[in-house]
Amino acid sequence: MKRRSSLVALLLLVAMENASAADAPAGKALFDHYCAVCHAAGPGHAGTMRLAELRGPTNAVLEQRKDLGTAYVSQVVRQGLVEMPPWRPSEIDDAALNQIAQYLAHGRR
Amino acid sequence: MKQILPPGVDAAAFADALQAFRKVVGDPFVYTGEALLSYADPYSIVADDNAHAASAAVAPASTEQVQAIVKAANQFGVPLWPVSCGKNFAYGGAAPRMAGTVVLDLKRMNRVLEVSEGDGYALVEPGVSYFDLYDHIQAKGYKLWLDVPDPGWGSVMGNALEHGVGYTPYGDHFGMQCGMEVVLPNGELVRTGMGALPGNTTWQLFKYGFGPYMDGLFTQSNFGIVTKMGIWLMPEPPGYRPYMISFQREEDLEQVVDILRPLKVGMVIQNAATIRSLLLVAAMNATRSQYTHQPGPLPDSTLRKIMAEQDIGMWNIYGALYGPPPVMDTLWTVIRDSFAKVPGARFYFLEDRKQPGDLLTQRAETMRGIPRLSEFSFINWSGGGGHIGFSPVSPIRGSEAMKQYTMVRDRMHEYGFDYLSLFAIGWREMHHVVELLFDRRDPAIKQRAEDLFRLLVKEAAAAGYGEYRTHLSFMDDIAATYGWNEHALMKLQQTIKDALDPNGILAPGKQGIWPARYRGGRT
Repeated sequence: MKRRSSLVALLLLVAMENASAADAPAGKALFDHYCAVCHAAGPGHAGTMRLAELRGPTNAVLEQRKDLGTAYVSQVVRQGLVEMPPWRPSEIDDAALNQIAQYLAHGRR
Repeated sequence: MKQILPPGVDAAAFADALQAFRKVVGDPFVYTGEALLSYADPYSIVADDNAHAASAAVAPASTEQVQAIVKAANQFGVPLWPVSCGKNFAYGGAAPRMAGTVVLDLKRMNRVLEVSEGDGYALVEPGVSYFDLYDHIQAKGYKLWLDVPDPGWGSVMGNALEHGVGYTPYGDHFGMQCGMEVVLPNGELVRTGMGALPGNTTWQLFKYGFGPYMDGLFTQSNFGIVTKMGIWLMPEPPGYRPYMISFQREEDLEQVVDILRPLKVGMVIQNAATIRSLLLVAAMNATRSQYTHQPGPLPDSTLRKIMAEQDIGMWNIYGALYGPPPVMDTLWTVIRDSFAKVPGARFYFLEDRKQPGDLLTQRAETMRGIPRLSEFSFINWSGGGGHIGFSPVSPIRGSEAMKQYTMVRDRMHEYGFDYLSLFAIGWREMHHVVELLFDRRDPAIKQRAEDLFRLLVKEAAAAGYGEYRTHLSFMDDIAATYGWNEHALMKLQQTIKDALDPNGILAPGKQGIWPARYRGGRT
């Protein structure tokens, strides 16, 4: 399991960055903080396990996917998707969610 | 989204209440419309999608803001449903019991107010998750361990208030709670125990203070909103050794539990150990479709195949040793020799479990207080996401464990569900936590699951077993089973409720306790 980064460092990072599409470092830090515990590679990650069964091993790890759009990521986070529960704006605000979505959609290319 | 209103509140009063809430917390922290989709219970078992729909949510950042919101709620008659981290999944998540209730979302109150390494405690706000507190302790370098439940994203406070359990020697979370600050339904602020003494230095050290012990009144209840809570933390032990013991036959459960009781009560087994069923263990690394596409109970041949492939038993104990190595060695000798009396028992330490993702490697972290979410893998077993816990309490007695097991297993098979469970071992009892998995997208399966759940509650109660915790949809059902002497306990709870919350604004229906205003025909 990837370790979650320090919240203090994370907030500083978020404060320094805007939500531009090129904002991969903040998006990556936010992904690691909120998402990696279920969606990182390897065993013990419930989201990765489920996606491996549904979409095959090459599409199981979110950070390795090339078919994710920002709108889709945001919708799944806010509304949930079958096994995945939704995340409330009190947990991840819209700016942070946008950075995660940008990172998954564009930030790694 | 269609606007839903709290029962008995008209649109104008509701709008005024929301405006009052906005003045308290600011516009960005009052949520309505599409934002409320994230407050829905994702794993609802009942057919009506609006059964637990919120009318709005408001997220304060301080105790003072909570007090101001409570006062406004009283003014406009608007009911509030407090949630801490909102991750009480399988029990309702962040959704309210009564449709139309406003969720009081305390997630933004996420400060670790104090950690005492020497005295071994933390003082936290409701929005502090196990991940948060763990990160804080690691960052500070304190030699302290948390006790964590399986979902690390849950609230330290919320889990204790809901009587949740973990897996270290500090596994009884409410048992390890010490001192609260509470906003009462009229907005007044109180501190419990030693916290009521100005200038005290023992709020998180001595639970009882002077006079009646009040803290229990604010757990699984709707008598107040806890805004600060002390929790005891375990000093890092000089040694730690997790273990697994597997047993090969279904009927071994009886002998295993009878052996376990004196070991647990006598503290030879130090932690809150668990006995896990075959399929619950298997589901951490595999899915049903890897073994069969046929509905119905898995045949014995398939169960044996799973056992062989994963090197697990029909029942599996996960426990751990804590302390100096000679102490651990001695305790292990007693534990091993005791369970070796069960034919076919197998004993494992971490070095014996090399398979990637093996459950002992995951439990090894949980039993030393490292928060994770890996346990959620089990909901992938049959797919569809829906899951709900049926959790009757049992004595630590083999005959009763077998009785509960066969009773629940047979009904689950009859209704077309697999039996996945664990027995969480407390000081004198076991929580028999049964995970009922269903496809949340399939109305027919959901209906079957709901029918089964209500039947299980009824049959368990008839046999003298009660649940320790439940989903929103079954709070009334289970409260009704605690009905000795013409529901004297519920009458007492209602008397307290009406005295503390005459306007009925706090969490109507929580644990079956309804304020007079919404009681109607309910008894």
